Amino acid sequence: MELKLIRPELLTMTAQELRALYPILILVIGSLLAIVLSVIKLLSPKFSVFFTTVLVSVAAGLVALDFFGAPPVPLFNHMMVVDPFSTFFTVLFVGALLVSCLVSFRYLDREKIQHPEYYILMLFSVIGMILMASSLDLIVLFIALELMSLSVYVLVGFRRADRRSNEAAIKYFILGSVASAILLYGAAILYGCTGTMNLAEILPILSRSPEVQGPLFVVGMWLVVVGFLFKVASVPFHMWMPDIYEGAPTPVTGFMTSGIKAAAFATFLRVLFSLGYGKAMTEAIQVNVHDLLWVIAVATMVVGNLIALTQTNLKRMLAYSSIAHTGYLMIGLLSGHKSEFGYAPIAMYLVGYSIMNLGAFALLSMVGGREDHGLNLQDFSGLGKREPWLAFAMSVFLFSMAGVPPTAGFVSKYFLLYGAVQAGEVPLVVIAVLCSAVSVYYYLRVLVYMYMKDPVGAPSGSRHSLWAGAALTAMVVLTLQVGIMPARLFEMARVALASF
Amino acid sequence: MNSLNLSTLIVEPWIVLSFGAIIFTIGLFGVIIRKNILIIMMCVELMLNAVNLTFVVFSNQLTDMAGQMSVFFIMTVAAAEGAIGLALVIAMFRTLRGVETDQIQLLRE
Repeated sequence: MELKLIRPELLTMTAQELRALYPILILVIGSLLAIVLSVIKLLSPKFSVFFTTVLVSVAAGLVALDFFGAPPVPLFNHMMVVDPFSTFFTVLFVGALLVSCLVSFRYLDREKIQHPEYYILMLFSVIGMILMASSLDLIVLFIALELMSLSVYVLVGFRRADRRSNEAAIKYFILGSVASAILLYGAAILYGCTGTMNLAEILPILSRSPEVQGPLFVVGMWLVVVGFLFKVASVPFHMWMPDIYEGAPTPVTGFMTSGIKAAAFATFLRVLFSLGYGKAMTEAIQVNVHDLLWVIAVATMVVGNLIALTQTNLKRMLAYSSIAHTGYLMIGLLSGHKSEFGYAPIAMYLVGYSIMNLGAFALLSMVGGREDHGLNLQDFSGLGKREPWLAFAMSVFLFSMAGVPPTAGFVSKYFLLYGAVQAGEVPLVVIAVLCSAVSVYYYLRVLVYMYMKDPVGAPSGSRHSLWAGAALTAMVVLTLQVGIMPARLFEMARVALASF
Repeated sequence: MNSLNLSTLIVEPWIVLSFGAIIFTIGLFGVIIRKNILIIMMCVELMLNAVNLTFVVFSNQLTDMAGQMSVFFIMTVAAAEGAIGLALVIAMFRTLRGVETDQIQLLRE
């Protein structure tokens, strides 16, 4: 009997397609290898899995960087695409994975939760992020989102003996699943309106027949947008974030601020543009979306910064500052289609923001005591005398978050606001600058505690991990390097977002 | 006496779609109102199944198999989600001795 294939070309793969898939393939093979290594007791799973993860992330990052700039390669019957956009974010996700792993090694020993599953779950969630950024199909997007989220739910609750960690995991799980369900319901409605789940096909349909954009389409689009607003934690869907950031193990929090936020924003961008934002949307819907997102952006900036003022726990303070940064990022979203930079400032901001946050949380996990106690402001008193190098690194990150030159935070905020002024969003820029001015207070308060107060307690005397120190140094160097020489990164961001 | 002929019974798509929307809303409100985490998880499942129903109706309307295929994927993901959720609930029960949302208020200042 002869088997007849309807579309045989779907079963083969060209060399270029395979090359485009290399980063994902390396990560998948690496995670499977890590699972096998984790049960071979002869090799000490602790080291073998850790080194596998580090090597795999370095390899995947280099391969992705090598592929950057190549023309888009559609894969699997246009279910996903590997274009400069997804490659750019692949490098970012893999970088976040590498830094988080290096920081986690000693941290897990200290917390007595050194299980190989930790690294394997991180690998899986990064695979989910990469698939998310490269998905072109709403169902692939949903599955990738769940792959990322389900791994991170477990990572958040990884300190199983700690009540706060459990509580954070449960809260994240419930709110995350509700957000995914809302997003999925929106996807179902969009499918009903447009007749396709492929993001690349939706845009032509919308511009060919604007009558598709009826009330049902608007409902579906808003459900999807709300799902993403949940994931990026913008006001009014931000309540979960501080609790979860506080309860999660510190390296995982760093991983979440950089990886998950970037993945959610990247996918949000792709979906929003596929729904015709700034292009094929009818005038009425476009104005509606713009105005509502405008209000949300302002509320996110104001609420995030104002509540951060009153926080005494540094992890919680950084969580609120993360909400505020979501607000700044939304400015880029609102102004991109009218400025000459396009949406490049968003990609740039995500990179800069990831670098400084990864660094700050790396530092918190080195400074913090057991069970993540000792992360209150008082515990940082006199850090400048006790640990001058750590205090210097923290100052660099805090200056960067506040947007003081010459740091990554300043440059990315500059491009973002410059683009917004060009697009005529002057009120938004004024509000953003005022909010940044407010944020200087709570960032610099940490510096006051570090340098102008007397040290409390005896110096810990414990030596810091070499791995975490290396990661921290790299983040300081990158923060300053991007701040002083932003041209190369900005050019990459432009290439990445050229298609939008 | 004529019996009900099932072959001529037509269910209008909008009825099923509204049914899906109602179930989805019930699930959403359940998540917001209920206190027991197990019941909250059931409500999330309810939401996902409402989505499934919507996909099937649209798939039938559009005579396109993609919608019905996605139902399988969503069911699989929902099962994985349930497994992880229950594992988290067990971990939580071990340390907190309860599964009510009232008890989880440590992280609030």
